[in-house]
Amino acid sequence: MNPRNIDEKDIWAALRQVIDPELGCNIVDLGLIYGLTIEQGDVLVQMTLTTPGCPMHESIAWGVRTALLEVEGVEQADVELVWDPPWNPAMMTEFGRSHVAGN
Amino acid sequence: MVEPLQSNAPNAGLTLRFVLLGVASLFTVGGGVCLRPELLATYHYNQHIIALTHVVTLGFAASIIMGALYQLAPVVLEIRLHSERLVRWHFAAHVVGLAGMVSSFWIWDLKLAGLFGCVMGLGIGLFAYNLGRTIARAPEWNVVALAISSALFWLAATLLAGLYLAATKCWSFSPFAGISAMHAHAHLGGIGVFLMLIAGVSFKLVPMFSLSEIQNARRAVGAILLLNAALLGLFVTMLLSNPWKLAFSILIVAALALYGWELIAILRARKRQRLDWGLKYFITAVGLLGPVSLLGVFLSWPNLVVNERIGQLENVYGLLALLGVVTLAILGMLYKIVPFLVWQTRYSREIGRNKVPTLADLYSAPLQALGYWIYVAGLLAVCVTTILGREQGIRWSGALLCAALAIFAINMAKILSHLVVVRTRFTASLNSPAMLEDHESPQH
Repeated sequence: MNPRNIDEKDIWAALRQVIDPELGCNIVDLGLIYGLTIEQGDVLVQMTLTTPGCPMHESIAWGVRTALLEVEGVEQADVELVWDPPWNPAMMTEFGRSHVAGN
Repeated sequence: MVEPLQSNAPNAGLTLRFVLLGVASLFTVGGGVCLRPELLATYHYNQHIIALTHVVTLGFAASIIMGALYQLAPVVLEIRLHSERLVRWHFAAHVVGLAGMVSSFWIWDLKLAGLFGCVMGLGIGLFAYNLGRTIARAPEWNVVALAISSALFWLAATLLAGLYLAATKCWSFSPFAGISAMHAHAHLGGIGVFLMLIAGVSFKLVPMFSLSEIQNARRAVGAILLLNAALLGLFVTMLLSNPWKLAFSILIVAALALYGWELIAILRARKRQRLDWGLKYFITAVGLLGPVSLLGVFLSWPNLVVNERIGQLENVYGLLALLGVVTLAILGMLYKIVPFLVWQTRYSREIGRNKVPTLADLYSAPLQALGYWIYVAGLLAVCVTTILGREQGIRWSGALLCAALAIFAINMAKILSHLVVVRTRFTASLNSPAMLEDHESPQH
């Protein structure tokens, strides 16, 4: 627990609510989340996308911020898109791999 | 209230209006083939075929491609569109120009066709200016920007050639043979605009949808440059009825082979093994470039005597190029673009707050598959019956194509219905594993 009682599990659960609508899988299991920093009520998510210039990037980043602000104790949510290291399928969880393969 | 991040993509409605016009045009052509099958069984240099060809090229293909480019170019080039207001003016000029041109061709009033061609040209000029200004500000020049710029150049050339053709018909001043000039004009549009854009845009879209990347950027750029050079030669030699057009036809085939080589490499490196039907439509279209190329080389053979059979082969060449390559490629990409636009309009503000459907939830994949097989069967049948000159066969083949388009329309209606149906109807069907809240990832 951090000082504002933000449970990290809640943050991850919130991030799992955000899907990549093209791949039909949530961004956590796709391995798009590179880093998570929680300070007081501020949450910073470092994430990437499966391809640079992805037309969904505004929607997904918006979704992440919206989902995080729904978590109790979160006052500020920021998303930083990073491209290094480039995303690759090895970053997916087992669940993500099986889900994308099935789609 | 969370403010949306800055988006480069323009209002989705701007693209959608072009798409809807394109789909309506496609149905007009389908209906035309069913009602007047004898048109395809005869030589193609007649007023009705020319009118229908312009419904396909300008009404269907150009509308959708231009509409999609307004959405795609800013995303690919990572820069905002120069002006959304110009898009609205372009659309108005496009609709008026298209309706006027097609009607004028149908009644064979070429002065009127030229007049409406100028209105169409005004719209195309706005399109080229808008995209040109957008591309000029792009932070990074890549193969997609090269292809779009090339296509803009050839689009202007096609328009000028078309207006020149109309003028020469009115005032008889051209030193070129009429049929040669018309073929040269058609190839400027077919190869320079449609093929160039299909190839260029696929270098972005195919990797994006299949989770892959360009495997050899020099090969991709080489294909586009070679296509440009070969088209210039083909246009000049066609216009002059010069036997060297065979050499430039072979050069076009070489450019397409280079493009196909890169596309296969991209697909082999893909991380998403299962291809959806949208991509299958598109890949089939690219595969049809094989028979179209062979026919093209054969028909450009020096001193080929144009008899009835050769005339019918020319019809098949045009059918395979327009209804095969261009139409299938566009249908495939529409299955990717329209769900995205509708999703973006309807659900992008709900992501992270409510359960939202995936793009694949918006349409029916079995209908896509059914439509695909009926369309391919109809295309094959229309080619065979056209070669044989069987009107009844063409009518039934046209009916098959219309059936496939009707299935496509049902799926499009299903997608568009998401713009009006209330959200609660979807939540029950969204128990996909991706959305299960109690799912625990082993990673975290």
